[in-house]
Amino acid sequence: MNTTIKNYLNQTQDSSSLALFRMGFGVLMTLSMIRFISKGWVEKLYLEPSFHFSFYGFEWVKPFGDMTYLLFLVCCVSAFFVAIGYKYRISIIIFFLSFTYIELMDKTTYLNHYYFISILSFLMIFLPANSYYSIDSKIKGYEFEKIPKWCTDCIKMLLFIVYFYSGLAKINSDWLIEAQPLKIWLTSSYDLPIIGSTLMQQNWVHYAMSWGGMFYDLFIAFLLLYSRTRIFAFFLVVFFHLFTAILFPIGMFPYIMIVGSLIFFDQKTHKKMIKIIDFILKFFGFKSKKIKRLKLNSNNNSIVLSIVAVFFIIQLCFPFRYLLYPGELFWNEQGYRFSWRVMLIEKKGITNLKVLNKEDGKSFMVMNEEFLSEFQERQMSFQPDFILEYAHHVGEYYKKNGMNEIEIYADSYVTLNGRLSQRFVDPNVNLMNEKRGFKNKTWILALDDEITGL
Amino acid sequence: MKTLKILISISILSIFIISCSSSSDDEQSTIPEFDRSAVLSNYADNIIVPRLNNFKSSVDYLKESGDAFIDSPDITTYTELHNSWLEAYINWQYVEMFNIGKAEEIMFFSKTNTYPVNEGRIQENINNEKTNLSNPNDWSCQGLPGLDYMIHGIANSENEIINQYIQNPLNGKYLKVVLDELNNNTDLVLNDWSTYRNTFVNSVENTATSAFNMLTNDFVYYFEKGLRTNKIGIPSGVFSNNPLSTKVEAYYSSKNGIEDVSRDLIENALNAVDLVFQGKSSNQSPAGPSFKTYLDFIKANNVSADDIGSIVVNKIQTANQKILDLNKNFINQVENDNSKMLTAFDALQTIVVNLKTDMLSLFNVAVDYTDADGD
Repeated sequence: MNTTIKNYLNQTQDSSSLALFRMGFGVLMTLSMIRFISKGWVEKLYLEPSFHFSFYGFEWVKPFGDMTYLLFLVCCVSAFFVAIGYKYRISIIIFFLSFTYIELMDKTTYLNHYYFISILSFLMIFLPANSYYSIDSKIKGYEFEKIPKWCTDCIKMLLFIVYFYSGLAKINSDWLIEAQPLKIWLTSSYDLPIIGSTLMQQNWVHYAMSWGGMFYDLFIAFLLLYSRTRIFAFFLVVFFHLFTAILFPIGMFPYIMIVGSLIFFDQKTHKKMIKIIDFILKFFGFKSKKIKRLKLNSNNNSIVLSIVAVFFIIQLCFPFRYLLYPGELFWNEQGYRFSWRVMLIEKKGITNLKVLNKEDGKSFMVMNEEFLSEFQERQMSFQPDFILEYAHHVGEYYKKNGMNEIEIYADSYVTLNGRLSQRFVDPNVNLMNEKRGFKNKTWILALDDEITGL
Repeated sequence: MKTLKILISISILSIFIISCSSSSDDEQSTIPEFDRSAVLSNYADNIIVPRLNNFKSSVDYLKESGDAFIDSPDITTYTELHNSWLEAYINWQYVEMFNIGKAEEIMFFSKTNTYPVNEGRIQENINNEKTNLSNPNDWSCQGLPGLDYMIHGIANSENEIINQYIQNPLNGKYLKVVLDELNNNTDLVLNDWSTYRNTFVNSVENTATSAFNMLTNDFVYYFEKGLRTNKIGIPSGVFSNNPLSTKVEAYYSSKNGIEDVSRDLIENALNAVDLVFQGKSSNQSPAGPSFKTYLDFIKANNVSADDIGSIVVNKIQTANQKILDLNKNFINQVENDNSKMLTAFDALQTIVVNLKTDMLSLFNVAVDYTDADGD
């Protein structure tokens, strides 16, 4: 056993694979940040709202006024440095920290692919991605031909987890038996050219895409791993992600996944791609001088290896934490995030808080727009942890304004995957008495229906 | 992006055709296309424009009787002015929800029905002989609530009010400014429809800015805010520690015993909403393409199992009953038996729930605000 591990760790890979990945990742992240800033989202999402929803334990992570732009700038520049491989280690650390800080500032904006970027950039801290074709190596005057094979394998592993787990999450009765929420989403994509009013309205298409999506997610990583199906699989990747890109507002995610899956190709292909990039750069006048080539940049430091091992153990287990909670996952959303549950639920809610002043027995409803942006209100209305945090925030606000003894109740209704809306939060529970945290939220009323599956 | 969309769409289509050319098409599983443009045409031609025309003629009548009253303030011209104001206010209930096109651009609904009014500022405006009411702070000094104050509120009885106009011509001057402003705004909105109509009925794509989606959002927003919150919620104290009877719609007419109209106004507002929801031009006319037929279509095609359309129609009837249980004078109702106001509020709230969650979810109205991955 020990020797198999040792043998595996001693296997090597051409360093162009990781260099190519580094460049793709860096360029896409740079573009992502530019896109985010230029759309005015920094202002809209982080500066305009007076209140921000926090991840439990990360309440201290907040936007800091106009200087928040600087954070985005730092993140953008560090991504660019990663792309060109300049001061790689410190750049990727800064990127990881700034990007993760941004994502922690307000969980209203939570997206699975942001989480993916965060953990991928964390992993990349431990990879020698500047060994080859980087500014760092030009400065040092030497580059490495080989890196340990596990360095590219762990990226494949992460991609495998993302796909496979999101495939597993699709094995449920709503997705496979009812073809929901795709049925709602596809029929309302009626404005797509040509297929919008034809294919997208066909019942069988909804089922075909639900089942196809599940099989795609479950098996695409295997098809990419196996050399004889790789080309076909890559076409599938491109097709699938471009299709989702025109159907849903999912931003950069499709492009990140397409570029990311290039890592599955063999080292010869990667070498060729680097040559093409080199050729293009030369065309634009960037000449790369020949430098010394050393054999292997071994990275088999036992601390690094154990960090990576622990990282993957966590990644493999964490998505299953929902099993620790009773009740319907899609309804209660306890253990829903950070688990590659993507595009699984169409949920809309309406939630209003009632503040009861115990001193005079009088109560009133809170107007959500006084505390939340429209986007925050929409997200708050169907997610229990948001509702609780909002209730506490409102409670604190009125306490500061002179009401000493108050209770807060929620009037909340939610619809899930086309089901008739039903009451979501127990209207008799004073949310001020409920603590935030990972304990089961007993004040969520049960869904009047059962969704079977994983 | 557009060409990219077309290219990808074509390739998807061809893949489906190739992979399915062998399969038989005897299944009856195709969802026929729903004609959203027909909904918009029905709304534009049979509901919005006729209602705006109605409102316009009542505003004309209001302006005429206003001019007559200013010329010779007496009880006859006063009564005429009051009647024309009420007619305009009732007709207004049928158009307030269409905050789209020119109406949105010029903030028609804020300028026409912001209440309670700012009495102090109106008095200042009168004394300063203000003629330009475009400042947002003047929204609460004009429109139908502004007229309510000018016609019923500047003194405590009909005779005293008429005297105010006889003694101080500045009152008449400001009344005229408010009437002209309302008339101009109404002209702007109505006239724009002659050109906007065609843009409107064809703007059906699922984007945040298409007419279909904006109209849908406006409708739900109006029901929640303009109807539920403003007419019942705020006066009955749902959003405050105590009931606020001074915040009822058409406050001064009730307060000074001229005519109790608050209930008539909300009754008409609810009827107006009901007709739009069912696509009817009047209570007698048959139902046409509408939000309800869209919901029916969605149900018929098994995208949803529940009959949201009928649920909403029934709930509107129930809410109407609760409103008819109320005193015609909302000030009295709030001050003497507020619980009935709260019952009416709850009846309206259950409709808001269905519109805001079920209907918007099934329509999947795009709100392209930021990226999302459906969680």
